[in-house]
Amino acid sequence: MSEVHQPVSEDAAARIIHTAAAVGAPLVLRGGGTRSLARNDEGHEILSSARLSGIVSYNPAEMTMTAKSGTPLADILAALAEKRQMLAFEPLDLRPVLGTTGNPTIGGVFATNASGPRRFVAGAARDSLLGVRFVNGSGDIIKAGGRVMKNVTGLDLAKVLAGSRGSLAFVTEVTFRLLPVPETAATIVISGLNDAEATAAMATALSMSVEVSGAAHLPETVRGRFLGGDLPAAATVLRIEGLSASVAVRAETLRAAMASFGAVSMLDADATDRLWREIRDVHPYADGTLRPLWRVSVAPTVGHQLVAALRLETGVDAFYDWQGGLIWLRMEAEAEAGLLRHFIKALGGGHATLVRAAPGILATTLVLEPQPDAVAALEARIKAKFDPKGIFSAGVTG
Amino acid sequence: MPDKIAFLPPKKSVLDRRDIIVSDLADLLPKGCLVSEPRGLVPFETDAFIAYRNVPLAVALPETTAQVAAVLKYCSGYGIPVVPRGAGTSLSGGAIPQADAVVIGLSKLSRILDVDYANRTATVQAGVTNLNISEAVSADGYFYAPDPSSQLACTIGGNIGMNSGGAHCLKYGVTTNNLLGVKMVLFDGTIIDLGSKALDAPGLDLLGLVCGSEGQLGIVTEATVRLIAKPEGARPVLFGFQSSEAAGACVAEIIGSGIIPVAIEFMDRPAIEICEAFAHAGYPMDVEALLIVEVEGSEAEMDAMLAGIIAIARRHGVSTIKESQSATEAALIWKGRKSAFGATGRIADYICMDGTVPLSQLPYVLKKTGEIVARLGLRVANVFHAGDGNMHPLILYNINDPEDAARAEEAGNEILKLCVDAGGCLTGEHGVGIEKRDLMLHQFAPVDLDQQMAVRAAFDPQWIMNPSKVFPLEGRPAA
Amino acid sequence: MQTTFTAAQLADPHVAESEAILRKCVHCGFCTATCPTYVTLGNELDSPRGRIYLIKDMLENGRAADEEVVTHIDRCLSCLACTTTCPSGVDYMHLIDHARIHIEQTYRRPLKDRFVRAVLAAVLPYPSRFRLALRAARLGRPFAGMMKRVPLLKTFGVMLDLAPDTVAPASDSTRPGNRPAQTARRGRVALLSGCAQPVLKPGINEATIRLLTRLGIDVEVPAGEGCCGALVHHMGREEEALAAARRNVDVWTKAITDGGLDAIIITASGCGTTIKDYGHMLRLDPGYAEKAARVSALAKDVTEYLSTLDLPRLEPKRVTVAYHSACSMQHGQKITVAPKALLKAAGFTVRDPAEGHLCCGSAGTYNILQPEISATLKARKVKNIEATRPDIIATGNIGCITQIATGTAIPILHTVELLDWAYGGEKPAEIDIAN
Repeated sequence: MSEVHQPVSEDAAARIIHTAAAVGAPLVLRGGGTRSLARNDEGHEILSSARLSGIVSYNPAEMTMTAKSGTPLADILAALAEKRQMLAFEPLDLRPVLGTTGNPTIGGVFATNASGPRRFVAGAARDSLLGVRFVNGSGDIIKAGGRVMKNVTGLDLAKVLAGSRGSLAFVTEVTFRLLPVPETAATIVISGLNDAEATAAMATALSMSVEVSGAAHLPETVRGRFLGGDLPAAATVLRIEGLSASVAVRAETLRAAMASFGAVSMLDADATDRLWREIRDVHPYADGTLRPLWRVSVAPTVGHQLVAALRLETGVDAFYDWQGGLIWLRMEAEAEAGLLRHFIKALGGGHATLVRAAPGILATTLVLEPQPDAVAALEARIKAKFDPKGIFSAGVTG
Repeated sequence: MPDKIAFLPPKKSVLDRRDIIVSDLADLLPKGCLVSEPRGLVPFETDAFIAYRNVPLAVALPETTAQVAAVLKYCSGYGIPVVPRGAGTSLSGGAIPQADAVVIGLSKLSRILDVDYANRTATVQAGVTNLNISEAVSADGYFYAPDPSSQLACTIGGNIGMNSGGAHCLKYGVTTNNLLGVKMVLFDGTIIDLGSKALDAPGLDLLGLVCGSEGQLGIVTEATVRLIAKPEGARPVLFGFQSSEAAGACVAEIIGSGIIPVAIEFMDRPAIEICEAFAHAGYPMDVEALLIVEVEGSEAEMDAMLAGIIAIARRHGVSTIKESQSATEAALIWKGRKSAFGATGRIADYICMDGTVPLSQLPYVLKKTGEIVARLGLRVANVFHAGDGNMHPLILYNINDPEDAARAEEAGNEILKLCVDAGGCLTGEHGVGIEKRDLMLHQFAPVDLDQQMAVRAAFDPQWIMNPSKVFPLEGRPAA
Repeated sequence: MQTTFTAAQLADPHVAESEAILRKCVHCGFCTATCPTYVTLGNELDSPRGRIYLIKDMLENGRAADEEVVTHIDRCLSCLACTTTCPSGVDYMHLIDHARIHIEQTYRRPLKDRFVRAVLAAVLPYPSRFRLALRAARLGRPFAGMMKRVPLLKTFGVMLDLAPDTVAPASDSTRPGNRPAQTARRGRVALLSGCAQPVLKPGINEATIRLLTRLGIDVEVPAGEGCCGALVHHMGREEEALAAARRNVDVWTKAITDGGLDAIIITASGCGTTIKDYGHMLRLDPGYAEKAARVSALAKDVTEYLSTLDLPRLEPKRVTVAYHSACSMQHGQKITVAPKALLKAAGFTVRDPAEGHLCCGSAGTYNILQPEISATLKARKVKNIEATRPDIIATGNIGCITQIATGTAIPILHTVELLDWAYGGEKPAEIDIAN
């Protein structure tokens, strides 16, 4: 069993890292431990943010919050709910899919850039992150960014830390922007479209000035897993949010425009809330299995082409978020990383991350998308600047 | 009085080889793409931050990414500093050269390469102006959201360099939130692609680092940006107040109430007078402060949002409310606002501050700004993006009077420190450039800057890329 | 921006004026975006801001012009799009005028350039010489290709391309004298005959006279009037330009004294810009300053004047007109609404081509002196105009008419010719050809 450090202060964390760096001992950085599956932390000491917890400041009028990195996401969401505010990027919760039980932390959310359906209009986690405090691999305590919305003072280190999966530094505190919770929401459902038709329908919807804030396609194979099986057929779903009067008007405009694609119906605010949570948390594939699950990001219009191409070669199941640009792809047996990445490249680029797989497959698969040589070399140089001794490298497989 | 900000001393080894360098560059570039004669170099000595000037060694105006790469490879080979330049509209001196530098101007890279409505992206060369993108897609119902006031002239490459904002960023975010990918050339001529039409890119968020890096990490030659469907309608509304503090407090309450308009712009009386003189936009002339609040969407939505805003404005004693009645009128309202800096040239020289403060601090910072400027015997015009607390005090002075100029610089420094002390930052969208470089230690500890400089060095180990900017000269790592 | 002129330098009123202009520039760079040469060439030195800097550097250092500076100043079209754009109110026109005078006084152009410029200055402002030259050009046309391959003759080859196929005899519209109102008299104006226009397109002033007299206006064509001086003015030949200005000021002053004038009507906006500047050009001449200012105040583009006459609104016709606003019209004189409003009132469907602020590349003698840039701009302009799918192109400047006509098959007419037709005149011959 690995030793787990749980510093109670930034200084304490810095001392632990400083000591580890002095002897070159690897440290695996951990938030809530919800994503431990894709990590290779056997035998390494663990540095956990669990006890660096608590909201440092919350100023609803300025729509910003500062919290220690180990603060449970649930605590933050509860505090925001009181003031009817939210994280614009809808952080997803992969525990059901991964079968893990940890307690997601705000630091972990940013470390994985975990972003849900609204990402394609409101940005990813990285777009909401205003500032960070962190300890680098030498044990220095550093701040970057700030607490105001607009800030271009110096290099934007917060951006590179977002999504860095604990490979650069131990983040101790994050400051992020918030948005008011929309007054209401509705979902337009177009039934019975195939993937290509759905792609066209979503592109049309997004070309309209109705401010769609969610666009997903749930093919026939998965639709039964949403809303307790209430969706009658393959469903192309479009979310609209805002002031009540406005949502009603926009929903009607959208409904009329979508009628030419297929049968159109509408979900109320409650059903909308439930549906988009299920989409966000990849509900269909929270299936208790370890069948390989990929998260694929491509240009929205080529998502369905990618899936169609794969179907000719292997057994896959998939559904689409972000107008088709985010594909949750479950393989029947093998991970098929080579095949998948070959098609992604052929369709204009993007990337695939293996989110879940049996240990045997994980051990032999590149979980993260490999980079071209020049970029990989640049990344390596950057990592060395944060972590000269390479003590954080063990945490990320790939 | 502050000393003039120092550039790095020119490298004698470079200056001595000037003729050879020019001759070599001429071999790398097509005819008409190199400026090296003494007269022609002078107009490149500054950008829109005219308080500082240095004539460069040469100016390369490449027409392709390959030519940019060739010039960079050559310059890195001989340790020649390089200063990238878009349209030269920087207000922080980001494009001001140094005597031993080769300026790489991107103005000839001005083609729109691809417009993809289904994916809502445009791929353009770095020298395309910000407004060109929106104009190219406007007839089809789209626009590119970040809209710096200089959008008519500034280039997308420069926008990426500074992570530019603009009035409408309150709703749509700044450049980094609207950028999907770039093609860029590293210091040694290596060409890399970051991002794509896909929303997420693999690996570290290098795109996020590059955006706002002020030409220190490489030179962007192409960019893929997000397009957004135009709203059904948009309506700027003018709210006049009898004091700046009242207007500032009104802004804080609007945002705090959960209403986020597309833009909330602030002008004080001097700024109103300046802008009205140029644009004839119909701004009220009997108020001390003016807010331009723009709402957008369907008529119903705009009405609902406006009703909420008007109720708040009344609580803060608004004295004039004027809705734009036509597209022409709306365009004039924005023309006046966006020309504010240039129009100030009609009455005085100015330096433009760019600090951002938490909204709750707006009234206080406005008041203190007035005091600082008055104490130094100067005038100030305030015109800025109030919705996100991004202030732009324009300090008016006479550049031909060295004492006046020094006082203006002193006032600027004090105001920026005030912004930082109020919980804000030195620069919200104009960049650090040369202007705010020596104030960086007021916002960051040395260890913070060390980490930034270390990352910078991962891109440019020789420190040849725009080397005099952003980071104070003292405390830099040995190259 | 900062300037470093000495008190001695500032004693020269031209320098003092330029200094005041330079002080307004804050180097914001907005002007680069709407400058046709910057948009085409992508070099700061070929932008207004770059030229302002070159001029400042030259004047401050009291230096003679040299080839490098002259190259970039010469490329300026004087379209003044920058002036429309400039938020700071930089008076670029008078700065570049000063620079051109400085160049002419301090710089010796290569033999070929001097020769070309001398020929242009000696021919174009004089209708009889110009007509003769055009007739000769018809004979010379077969040699144009050959001439363009010989450096010294290249410019003349370009000119041959621009020359029209037919050259009309001297128009009656230029004969001095009064054309009385045909209906109840509402006013009296002088009409500028000018130089090149009546030779190239006599129909323009003929239409103007028909229309105005039909509307109850006495039209006087004063004796002794001639070229407005714009052509030599833009070459920096100050004395020649001022001589032309003084001559015309005398002629019109006499007309004012003799019978009063409501306006001096100009049908070529290039000339209009210059005549409206007479007051400024002669401001330092005590004998003329006041008279010239009066003339400038009376100078009106024909559309400017027509829009004061309350012309009746006519039934829509099925004719789509792309309105090309000449730079001298929209930037030089800031007349943007009147021509289109008149055309619409007359029943035409009016379209605005994209990039309307960009010059067509005519710019006086620019298409002769800078043929490459001019050709690029012409192609861009024609593409934008043709994209509006018009039946006719309308504009208010003879230079643009000549330039654009060589790039498109769509007929191009002066706005006043269409108005004359709409308000009772004959259908212009060009439209018959088109239909």
